[in-house]
Amino acid sequence: MQKPSGRAELLQGTLDMLILRTLLFGPAHGHQIAKHIQRTTEDVLQVEHGSLYPALHRMERKGWIVSKWEMAKDRNRESKYYRLTPAGRKQLVREESRWKQLAAAVATVMWPAAGGRS
Amino acid sequence: MNVWDGLRSRLADFQRRRNRENDLDRELQSHLELEAEEQEESGLSSEDARYAARRAFGNTTLVKEDVRAMRSGFWLEQLARHVKYAARSLRKSPGFAIVAVLTLALGIGANTAIFSAMNALMLRPLPFTAADQLVRIYSIQQGMSNSFANPDGPSAPDVRDFAQRSRIFQETVVYDTWGKNVSFGDSAGEPEQMHVGLVPGAYFEILDIHPIMGRLFTEEEAQPGKNFVAAISERLWRNRFAADPSILGRKIRVNGEPYTIVAVMPDVIPAWVEPGRQSEIWTPFAFPEAWLETSRGGRGFAALGRLKPGVPLEQAQADISAIAVALAAEHPVDQGVRVVVRRLADTRAGALRPMLFLLMGAVSLILLISCVNLANLLLARNSSRQRELAVRAALGSSRGSLVTQLLVETLLLSLIGGAAGLVLAKIGIAGVMRMHPEDLPQLVSIGIDWRVLTFTLLVSLTTSLLFGLAPALTGTRLNLVDALKQGRRSGNTGKRGTRMRNILVAAEMAMSLMLLVGASLLVQSILRLEHQNLGIKQDHLLKGHFYLPPVRYSNPGAISRFCDRFASRVRALPGVIDATITTVYPPNNGWIQMLGIPGHSVTRIQDIPAAQFGVVDAEFRKTLGTPLIRGRDFAESDSATSPPVALISEEFQRRYFPSEDPVGKQIHIGPPQFLHLAVGDNTADAADVTIIGVIGDFKNRGLALSPDPQITVLYAQHPLVNYGFKWIVIRTSSEPRLLAPAVGRQLHELDSDLPFAEVQTIGELVEQQTNGERFTTVLLSSFAIAGLVLAIVGIYGVISYLVTQRTQELAVRMALGASRANGLWLVVKQGVGMAAIGAVIGLCGAWASQKLTSGLLFGVSPVDPVTFAGGAVFLLAVAAVASAIPGARVMRIDPAEALRGD
Repeated sequence: MQKPSGRAELLQGTLDMLILRTLLFGPAHGHQIAKHIQRTTEDVLQVEHGSLYPALHRMERKGWIVSKWEMAKDRNRESKYYRLTPAGRKQLVREESRWKQLAAAVATVMWPAAGGRS
Repeated sequence: MNVWDGLRSRLADFQRRRNRENDLDRELQSHLELEAEEQEESGLSSEDARYAARRAFGNTTLVKEDVRAMRSGFWLEQLARHVKYAARSLRKSPGFAIVAVLTLALGIGANTAIFSAMNALMLRPLPFTAADQLVRIYSIQQGMSNSFANPDGPSAPDVRDFAQRSRIFQETVVYDTWGKNVSFGDSAGEPEQMHVGLVPGAYFEILDIHPIMGRLFTEEEAQPGKNFVAAISERLWRNRFAADPSILGRKIRVNGEPYTIVAVMPDVIPAWVEPGRQSEIWTPFAFPEAWLETSRGGRGFAALGRLKPGVPLEQAQADISAIAVALAAEHPVDQGVRVVVRRLADTRAGALRPMLFLLMGAVSLILLISCVNLANLLLARNSSRQRELAVRAALGSSRGSLVTQLLVETLLLSLIGGAAGLVLAKIGIAGVMRMHPEDLPQLVSIGIDWRVLTFTLLVSLTTSLLFGLAPALTGTRLNLVDALKQGRRSGNTGKRGTRMRNILVAAEMAMSLMLLVGASLLVQSILRLEHQNLGIKQDHLLKGHFYLPPVRYSNPGAISRFCDRFASRVRALPGVIDATITTVYPPNNGWIQMLGIPGHSVTRIQDIPAAQFGVVDAEFRKTLGTPLIRGRDFAESDSATSPPVALISEEFQRRYFPSEDPVGKQIHIGPPQFLHLAVGDNTADAADVTIIGVIGDFKNRGLALSPDPQITVLYAQHPLVNYGFKWIVIRTSSEPRLLAPAVGRQLHELDSDLPFAEVQTIGELVEQQTNGERFTTVLLSSFAIAGLVLAIVGIYGVISYLVTQRTQELAVRMALGASRANGLWLVVKQGVGMAAIGAVIGLCGAWASQKLTSGLLFGVSPVDPVTFAGGAVFLLAVAAVASAIPGARVMRIDPAEALRGD
């Protein structure tokens, strides 16, 4: 299957970080999370919506997030909302610093003269 | 936890899982709806919006799978689902399932049965403390054409020297087992012949066996006169004395003498540890003369040693061999004697050891054939399931999950097959037990224990993994589009699958042929062994043993008188043609006697003339029906007072009188002066005898070996060798077995304390002697039949599959004018072709495995060309028939119909 060009596939492991980051703003259901990631990256990061759910369930099992069925404010329908736990916040910090390290490392390889800055 | 709680927790668990599933469905559903609404708002029709939402989402089934995989306990759930599905799918094709399970059951069952034998005879630990320290000591006489009565036993002085000169033993014991007349208490009825162990107290100590009650024999009790004490087995105590707690002090009579019971021993010692059969009674080893220097040549005792902890067997063997060399330098009788030390556990299987290896090889082949069949069945089944698999793949099953599913199916089959195999093995073992286990005492302990169960489980698992994986991988190499398209050809896995199946069938045929050839060689061998000419007229001969104990028959005159009276009473019985009292009866050996023959002066022990020695009465030759070649037979006139005479065999004449007439020649019975020989062997002083005649050779050292030189003398003329051990051989005019009670009554009337023992016809004796061979032959033959059946199933299956596959092609051929016979030939040719390749490989395999069989064969070569050719032709014929049956369907093909159908 061909992917539209100009869109990047998510790097393995970064999905968790993006979800946690999204939930930092407050509880959200799966569809909102997917849309948020897509919108904030200006459609560069294309999340196949389905791939979100295994990640959500996994993180719930690890205790980073909790879920609850709630009525949406604007719509007359219940959705399953996920929210961050303290453990989730800690995990986000860990993932962020790991990501920064990785990005810096990649940058030094790619642009050595710029001293790690792009 | 009570039943209710258990049920409730089960229910709750089920509820939770259902809730989780519902929850997931609902969550995904709501996502799709939200997305669809959004798409609709951006201007799509509601239908298009729903499709767009699904596209953006990806494969829902896969997502659900992935989510489920995140849960705890998921793999168990998964496995349960696979097993459930596998069971359902097997139930839906019962034909396949039954054939597969039976195939596996045969293969695994045969292996389990033989493994349980190996387990009992080689692997299972001995019931003794630190059993790996226990060794048996053998002395094997080399360089002589004749070996002494029991070639394997050392002499007591040798064992004493091994123990004293080496520092490897904690303890050694010398013991023996004798058949003796036993009667229990005063009231007990018939006396019985029983095997009595003659052992020192240390015998039980070395095995670390403690009496249930009573005490072990003391050292003083090894002196004649003080030795009238006995230990009895627990079995005897329970069966004969109803486990009487006050048994100690009771008296039993052994060979007419009273012995006091001083101990009850637990039933721990297996029969194979004692020479011969299971001992139920033990009395002290009271032969002080056995330890004298003059008895160094008196070999034939059993000897056990317990090595010091940490002494390796190799060191023990090296030390003992060095001592044996030193002993040979000091004592001429020890020249040419090799001493072998073997772990007690390794002596367990005895003569069955090589046969077990042969059988294990055979059952491995059976297992391979079953596995090949299974692989073939699976290949065919998986390729005919391609559409089902393709549908499941299209619905989101990953290849891994499909392979797992197929493997779980195979695993389920293997486990059911293994369980069925266990049942088969159990039945098989019960069958083996009915084949005279008393003559193969090692077999008694065969059974199914945890080791056997583990083995069976492992074999089942390995089978399914090894032979299920390849078909599962080929089966799931799917091209979805092709597989989903309608059409008959969808089931074709292509050339690869077909070629693999052909190779498998050829391999099956090869292995089956190897089994056939092996079994057929063994059958020929045993037939030759049993139906060979013993050198006597062997039908209508009955033999029985009696023993005249020295207490009541203290001199040779008394023994002679009793024997003469007994024989004449038996001869007078109706139905008796003739009878003889003897120490030899074909094909058994008597004892080997050293001789002095004029013109044969010797200085080395290896060169001393020797012959099988029989002490008989005048009717010996006539009763057995051996021809008189020259000279005269024994006569009534040869009496105690006339000059001693002897009959020799043709082989004797060939060996010692190759170019002269032996009749009238004198021979000296006994060894030359420079040798002191065995215990109680007074024959050194025996008189010279005159040869009066030459008789035909007869088998005198077992069925398998050619006759040794034989010399027979009259007990009336040789009081020094006229011992109480005697046999009677009777020629009858009717069925010999029927006369046994009458003969026993005659013996009883002369002496009510004498048991008539070991009563058998010579035919039965021959059968008994081939028990080990028959055991192997029967087993190997049944394995060969099983292998053949499996191979037939294999070739049948492949050919019928082929016919289904090629129906269209064959129809086209017929439509174009090929005859039906042509079509049939086309199919049969395939089967025979595979069989032919298999036959060539099988013959090579049989040729290569000749080492396994050669030692077990009698009178037939392990590469007998007739057997090889016959086996191959038979296999081809079977393959032709097995392929013709499904091939016959070709004859019924209606080309028009076959071509019209899609």
